[in-house]
Amino acid sequence: MTVLVCVGSSCHLKGSYEIIELFKERLAKEHLEDKVTFKGTFCLGKCGIAGVSIQVDDEIITGVTPKNFDDVFNKYILSRI
Amino acid sequence: MIDNRYITEFGYLSFNHVGEELCGDHVEITSKDETTKILVLADGLGSGVKANILSTLTSKMLSSMIAGDISIKECIRCIANTLPVCKVRNVAYSTFTIIKIKDNKYVDIYNFDNPTPFMIHNGEVKDLSYSSTVIDDKTIYHAKIEADPYDTFILMSDGVKYAGVGETLNFGWDMPQIKNFMGVIYQKEYSAKALATELANRCNDLYNSRPGDDTTVAVVRIREREQVNLLIGPPTNKEDDEEMLSLFFAKGGTHIVSGGTTGNLVSRYLNKPLVLQTDYIDKEIPPIAFIDGVDLVTEGVITINKVLEYANNYLTKNDLYFNWFYKSDGASLIAKYLFEEATDINFFVGCAINNAHQGEETGINFKIKMHLIDELANKLRLMDKNVKVTYF
Repeated sequence: MTVLVCVGSSCHLKGSYEIIELFKERLAKEHLEDKVTFKGTFCLGKCGIAGVSIQVDDEIITGVTPKNFDDVFNKYILSRI
Repeated sequence: MIDNRYITEFGYLSFNHVGEELCGDHVEITSKDETTKILVLADGLGSGVKANILSTLTSKMLSSMIAGDISIKECIRCIANTLPVCKVRNVAYSTFTIIKIKDNKYVDIYNFDNPTPFMIHNGEVKDLSYSSTVIDDKTIYHAKIEADPYDTFILMSDGVKYAGVGETLNFGWDMPQIKNFMGVIYQKEYSAKALATELANRCNDLYNSRPGDDTTVAVVRIREREQVNLLIGPPTNKEDDEEMLSLFFAKGGTHIVSGGTTGNLVSRYLNKPLVLQTDYIDKEIPPIAFIDGVDLVTEGVITINKVLEYANNYLTKNDLYFNWFYKSDGASLIAKYLFEEATDINFFVGCAINNAHQGEETGINFKIKMHLIDELANKLRLMDKNVKVTYF
């Protein structure tokens, strides 16, 4: 599985850094570093929406914030592995 | 004949006498024409506003007179007759050093009562040989040499020589130590400004950041020209992509691509993947990326905004210098390429409006982007860079 976090200008301002840190932490905790390719990407083209955009394989998920991060992680990553 | 592969580069930095708003030292840089450049460093008697007036007058007058081919004798007489006399000390006085470089080769240095300028040749400190003449009771030292590329000349006010007196050292720092320091830190890759900053900062440290005298270092060196090209933003019309990119890559020198969309465009054009670094070196600055065939790929507006902040600081106190000089986030790397390495800079600015950015709460919009580039280009011109901006 490949997970990309947008670090384009807009997402950066909306908190890419925090989301990346949360991902790193959670992936380590669940011992998923070998199963998930975790990378950054430039603009995913969804800047108008609040929160950070991420891409899980071919699906773009918008509006990720530190608040809903655990729900997003469980729903889109943990349950699909 | 002037050799156009080379350029004469200037850089200077001053620290004011503690508690003073104005600096009593003044540096004036003039170009007589394309081939002759002149720098005058003057140190006015005392500190504060009086010293500032004396040194500003002296350096401005000297640089225009030297540019007008007026003899040094005439220049000195003219200065002596013009400077206002200090009521307290009953003298009109400003020391000065003049350096004139013609065709990036023929160097004349005139020194009056400033610490004796020296040079770095092939990475080694070398003394210049001076002859002296007395003009109206003033002894002027004159050195004349034919310089090689990368010969570097170091000029200073006496605040440099006396750094530390009364604070950390008592006369433990003098010309031999100054020369030794410059010999040790010198690297061919360092710009004139970087060298001046290193020495001036060293003095400021010795003064415990409370300089007892105005302290100025000016460095002049002859260097090879270096071209840096920066591409930012996709063109307004998609049909122009090809033209913009082929012109960009046809240029020699360093290639920097700034902006996520622009990065993707370049990656498609070169048919090479764009690989993003996920590690943040600086939390404030989005990570950089790599494309084979491009020297540096960064995010756009936020990174450039930081570069502009560094540029403003570079032209004034330059105290953020140590922030970016040794760091490798996108903004620091661009700052290093543009401020340090480049002599000639080409901006390729695509004017497409990023619809994703308009009218949202992040405040990034088209106007801001264009304004950033204009501002940055202006600051770079103030750094004496040849800047060309092309819009697509």
